[in-house]
Amino acid sequence: MANSLRLYLACIKNTLEAAMCLQNFPCQEVERHNKPEVELKTSPELLLNPVLICRNEAEKCLIETSINSLRISLKVKQADELENILTKKFLRFLSMRAEAFQVLRRKPVQGYDISFLITNYHCEEMQKQKLIDFIIQFMEDIEKEIRDLKESVNTRGRLVATEFLKQFM
Amino acid sequence: MAVVDVHRFAESITCHAWSPDLSMVALCPNNTEVHIYKSLSQDHWERLHVLQKHDQIVSGIDWSSKSNKIVTVSHDRNSYVWSLEGAEWVPTLVILRLNRAALCVQWSPKENKFAVGSGAKTVCICYYEQENNWWVSKLIRKRHESSVTSVAWHPNNVLLATTSTDGKCRVFSTFIKGVDTKDSKAGSPAETKFGEQILQLDLSYSWAFGVKWSPSGNTLAYVGHSSMIYFVDDVGPSPLAQSVAFRDLPLRDVLFISEKMVIGVGYDSNPMVFAADDTGIWSFIRYIGEKKAASSGSSYSSQFSEAFGKFYGSQSKSTTANDASDSRGGVHDNSITSIVPLGKGGSPKVMRFSTSGLDGKIAIWDLENMQQELGNQF
Repeated sequence: MANSLRLYLACIKNTLEAAMCLQNFPCQEVERHNKPEVELKTSPELLLNPVLICRNEAEKCLIETSINSLRISLKVKQADELENILTKKFLRFLSMRAEAFQVLRRKPVQGYDISFLITNYHCEEMQKQKLIDFIIQFMEDIEKEIRDLKESVNTRGRLVATEFLKQFM
Repeated sequence: MAVVDVHRFAESITCHAWSPDLSMVALCPNNTEVHIYKSLSQDHWERLHVLQKHDQIVSGIDWSSKSNKIVTVSHDRNSYVWSLEGAEWVPTLVILRLNRAALCVQWSPKENKFAVGSGAKTVCICYYEQENNWWVSKLIRKRHESSVTSVAWHPNNVLLATTSTDGKCRVFSTFIKGVDTKDSKAGSPAETKFGEQILQLDLSYSWAFGVKWSPSGNTLAYVGHSSMIYFVDDVGPSPLAQSVAFRDLPLRDVLFISEKMVIGVGYDSNPMVFAADDTGIWSFIRYIGEKKAASSGSSYSSQFSEAFGKFYGSQSKSTTANDASDSRGGVHDNSITSIVPLGKGGSPKVMRFSTSGLDGKIAIWDLENMQQELGNQF
């Protein structure tokens, strides 16, 4: 299980290294504008083929690349309904604080749990390797965080049930 | 080590150009200004001028070697020609007639005109009108399907090569009556009309950048975003095209240092050397800077971790791969965006050149002491 996670992350890391070759590119459609082409998709020749990396059916990473921006969308493993609720709440909590993350998109791409948008400005300000490491670390931490949340919910459920059943002893 | 001087001028540099006597450098620190620095001593630079006329990011600078004029283009779709009058640089607005950003600029070899590539999918050829005392432009229209990313002049001052984000490289005739003389026509007898497309190369499947002519004008080189570099020999009615694929990140710009040797720079932050052998086959030779330990280290450690994991299950750690990726090495910390030759334009070999990148550094490289390493292709 841990081996497949490491291979999954290594594949994403290598793909991001090749995909994060971004440059400043002004808009072809509107004068004096500079927009992320991966969001607008107005010029099809400025987009590269999207890459979908799957660990299994429930866990995947979509990388869409254009000449000046890059969008990474993650789907986190959700084994049961409790993890569905926890993932939804936790990632919505993070998305509402997208300003602090800088590369986090406010709204996930349709069909995915969380999305990043990296533009050429981010590649100019930050080191590219550190950006990739941040995303890999984020994916590891998300999985760990949701597992911990699930354990704590189960623990509290067990404590509440114990206290409740004490009145019948 | 081929690099002889490195200096960090800004947070990020989009483009740079050197003065004719190589004592001053004009660079854009990724904003609307152009800064001109002068080298006072080793590793000590003083900022002499700030050219402030553009409203958006300056995307191209070229400094002519004979007439000492600076041409700048910007994303605000304007272009200025700066002339030194006394101690100040005085701008002259060029009427580009563009409705999108200008992306690149280059003086022609005789410096009587310059070419501007733009996001309006056109190329402007600008020349000076003496009677009206301004710079006017003629457009090469309806030829490109996407933005023009780089332009390169043939040594005969008439042919112009362009690359575009539709992946194609095109060669046009830019003969302008009154600016070019008739004897230039001897080079290309068939087409002499302005804007006539002479050649279209469809070698690249992705965006194309960084087109350059060889010193004699016989070979054309440009790069594609799919980590490919393309060489076209005997440019004319029946050209010979070659594609060279390399295993690292794509390139952004190339420079011919001789007829048979090319330096490519790009997202790998390390210049690459490509050369042709005696039969004319081009191939990748080596990197100029230090060999990156990241790629070999990470691949080796991942193989080792994989083998280690087979014996001990889930106990293997991944710290080795992380450590390997941190050691980048090299002169530039971010991708290199431009490469400029240093030296007299007349000589067929370029021994020194400078590179600038998104980390704000300008590095000067000298290949004098690398001749035996790079072989006799010089």
